[in-house]
Amino acid sequence: MSKKLTVIPEQCSDCRICELVCAIKHFGVNNPKKAAIRVVNTYPHPVMRMPVVCSQCRVPACAQVCPVGALTWVEGIVRLDKETCISCFKCVDACPFGAIYAHDDCDYPIKCDMCGGDPECVKNCPTNALRLIPEYALGEAKRLGNVLSYTQMREIEFYEKGEKKVIRYAEIGKEEL
Amino acid sequence: MSIKGGYFKQHLAVDLTRGTAERLPLADAFLEQYVGGRGFGAKLVWDNLRKHDFKVDPLGAENLMVIAPGPLTGVYLPSSGKNSFAAISPATGLYGDSSIGGGFGVELRQAGLDCLSVTGKAPELSVLVIDDSAARIVPMPELRGKTSLEAEGLIRERLDVPGAHIATIGPAGENLVRFACVNADWGRNAGRTGFGAIMGAKNLKAIIVAGHRDLPVHDIGALVEEANKAYAYLKEHKYFKLWQQQGLMNVIEYANDKGILPTYNFKDSVFTHHDRINGETMMESYKIGDNACFGCAMCCGNICLVKNGKYAGTVVEGPEYESCAMLGSNVGVDDFAAVLSANQLCDELGLDTISAGNLVGAVIEGYEKGIISLADLNGHEITWGDDDAILNLLRMIGHREGIGDVIADGARRIIEAWPEMDKIILQVKGLEQSAYDSRAGSSMALAYATSDIGAHHTRAWTIAREMEEGQGWSDEERVKTVIYHQTLRPLFDMLGVCRLPWIELGLNERHYEYFYKHVTGNELTLEQLLALSNDIYDLTRLINVRLGVRRRDDSLPYKVHASPPLTGPNAGKVVDKDAFQGLLSRYYRSRGWDEEGRPPAGIERKFED
Repeated sequence: MSKKLTVIPEQCSDCRICELVCAIKHFGVNNPKKAAIRVVNTYPHPVMRMPVVCSQCRVPACAQVCPVGALTWVEGIVRLDKETCISCFKCVDACPFGAIYAHDDCDYPIKCDMCGGDPECVKNCPTNALRLIPEYALGEAKRLGNVLSYTQMREIEFYEKGEKKVIRYAEIGKEEL
Repeated sequence: MSIKGGYFKQHLAVDLTRGTAERLPLADAFLEQYVGGRGFGAKLVWDNLRKHDFKVDPLGAENLMVIAPGPLTGVYLPSSGKNSFAAISPATGLYGDSSIGGGFGVELRQAGLDCLSVTGKAPELSVLVIDDSAARIVPMPELRGKTSLEAEGLIRERLDVPGAHIATIGPAGENLVRFACVNADWGRNAGRTGFGAIMGAKNLKAIIVAGHRDLPVHDIGALVEEANKAYAYLKEHKYFKLWQQQGLMNVIEYANDKGILPTYNFKDSVFTHHDRINGETMMESYKIGDNACFGCAMCCGNICLVKNGKYAGTVVEGPEYESCAMLGSNVGVDDFAAVLSANQLCDELGLDTISAGNLVGAVIEGYEKGIISLADLNGHEITWGDDDAILNLLRMIGHREGIGDVIADGARRIIEAWPEMDKIILQVKGLEQSAYDSRAGSSMALAYATSDIGAHHTRAWTIAREMEEGQGWSDEERVKTVIYHQTLRPLFDMLGVCRLPWIELGLNERHYEYFYKHVTGNELTLEQLLALSNDIYDLTRLINVRLGVRRRDDSLPYKVHASPPLTGPNAGKVVDKDAFQGLLSRYYRSRGWDEEGRPPAGIERKFED
C-alpha cells in the first residue's frame, strides 16, 4: 500500500519548519532555500498558505521531459537518479505544480524523495497541515467538507448528563418537496 | 572563546546621501561582545553619536538606523524569526529599538549579512534592494503616499525580486509621524519608537531582501538534537494549543480578570464588554488562519476576516493583545470588527497601534474633560466607542491633517499644546505606555520608568509575576525581578529569537546557552551571556544619560500616582510617590548607578571598540 504526502493548506501557518527540516535532512545545512517543499504565501486576496511539494504523479510530467530518463516512478515515488541526471533542469519547468526546485549551490534538481517513506516535514509540522495518508483515503477531508457545505444542516441541542451537546444532521432537498 | 560559526561577519553599511552600499567585515571581538540584534544596534548607535558629538537629530540624515538579526535568527530552533531595529528615536530623542518577527531577518541573514546600517538621506523617495552579493538603491517616487501593503504589492510587480521579503513604511512614515512603524510580511511590525518616521526622513520607502545562503551553524547535529528537545517540550505544554489558536489574544481575558486591561484611557482597568473583543470571539467569528514567524511552532499570529456588517472585507494580520487592547477597550470600542478595521488602518498607514490607541484614548478623555475643544478637533466630535470618529482620527494622524498634525508628534507635543494633558496621557520619556496597567504592581511601574526606550513592556514584563506571586514582595524582590527581566529579555533580542516560548510556555532559558554554543561554537554559559546583555543595558543607559536623561526622566505618568482605576480588582490602587522614589534608588544602587541614575564613570571604556 503506498502512502501519499498530502497538504491541508487551511492549516498551514507559514512557519516554514518543513523547509528547514527538509534541507537539514538532505543537505545537512540550515537553509530553507534548499528544501524540496516550500510554503507559497499569498495575501490578502486570497489569504493562502500552500506548502508545495512533489505529488509523486504516476504519469510524471518531469519524467516525460527528462532526456536521459533520470526520473522514474518506482513504488509510489518519483525517483531521481543522480548518476544519470545531466542537470538540465528541464524537469523544474515541466512540473505543473512547480514542486521541483533549484539552488545555485546544488548540481541536481531538488526533489522530494519522501525521506524513504517517513517524511521529516510531516513529522515536524506543528499544525498538522502535512499528512501521510493511504492513497485510498485521498480526498476524504475535502469530500466531508464539501458535503457539509452544500447540504442543509439542521442542529438539535440536547443535554446528556448535564452537558450540552449538539447533533447536526442533513435535510437534503426538503425545500423542493 | 572563539567564534566558529553563527556569523557571516559582514555588515552592510548604506549611505543614502552618497548612494553607496559597502560590505564591511565584523571583527570576532565585536561579535563576541555584542552578540547581535539589539547588541549591535546599541553599539553602532553609540559609535554614531560619538562621531557626531552627541548631536543627532532623530529625523536628520545623520541618524544611523541599524537593522540586525542575531546569530540564532533563521536557525532551526523554536521561534527564530526575530530581528531588531535600533536608532535614536523620534518619539523620545533617546535610544530606541524595536523587534520585528516574520521572515525579514532570516532573509537578511541568508543574504550573508549579520547587520545592516542605513545613514544619510536619498535625494528622492527610494527603495533599497539587497541580494546575496550586491545592494542597490532604486528611486521609486511613484510609491509616494502608497500604504504599506500597496507599496509591497507594487514593488513585487515592478522590481524583479522573486521570493523577497519586504519591509515598507506607509504614509505615516513618509509624513514623519513620530510613532510610525515599519511593516514587513504584510502585518508584522517594528512598531515602537518611530522607525517608520526615520525611514521616511531618509526618503527610504522600503527595504527588499532576498538571500539564498546556508546559515553558518557550527555543530548542526547537536543543534538539531537540542532544538528537537525544545520543540517537543513546547508541543506537550498544556497551553500550546491555546497559543496556536488564540495567540496573544488569550491575554485579553487574563488582563481583564486581573484588572490590568487599559480601559477608557486607563481610567479603568476592567472592561464591561471584554468578552466581545477577546480571543474566543475572534475564534468564533473572525479567525481564518494561523500566522507564524519563521521556525515557530506556536504560531501566535492570527489572520482575521470580517465577513459581514459595515467592515465586511477587512482582512488583517492580527490582532494581538496590545493592538486589541489599545484600539479596543482603551478607546471604549466593543465591536471586534471595528478593532480589526482600526488595526488594518494602522497597518496600512504604518502607525504603531500602541501609541496610536494610547493617544486617541487620551484625546477622547481630553475632549470629555474640556481640555481639548471641538474647534481643536476640527469640528469632529469624538467619544468612547465611536468607531467612525476613531478611524477618522487615525486617518488624520497618518496624514497629519488638522489636529492629527499635533497628535502625530506624539505625547510630548500634545502636552506642549495642552499642558493639562500631562495629567491625561500615560507616557514615559515621550513614549506612550503600552497595554499593561502598572497601578496593580509597582514592579511594573518601575519597569516602565526604567525601560531604556520609554514606557514599553518589552524590557521587563513583571506584572504577571507580581500578580501571581508577588503580592507580598519586598522592594528588594521587586528590583531583583525587574533587573532579571531587563537582562534576560533583551538577550532574546540580541540572539535574534522570540521570548514567548520562554515567558509564555516556560521553555527553560538554559536551552539558549546550548543553542548559542552549537551555532557559534563559542562556549559561553547563560550567566556569561546575561552579563553581556547587562552590559548592553548599561550602554543604552549611557547613551540616554549622555543625551540628558537623569532621575527626573525615570518618572511615572500622573495617573499612576494619582488616579486609581475606578472598578475591578485593583480599584483604588495607585503607586505611592515616595515609595516609588525609594524603589528607584534601590534599583539604581543594584545596578551600580548613582542617585541620578548615571552608570559609573569610566564605563565608556568598555564600549570603546
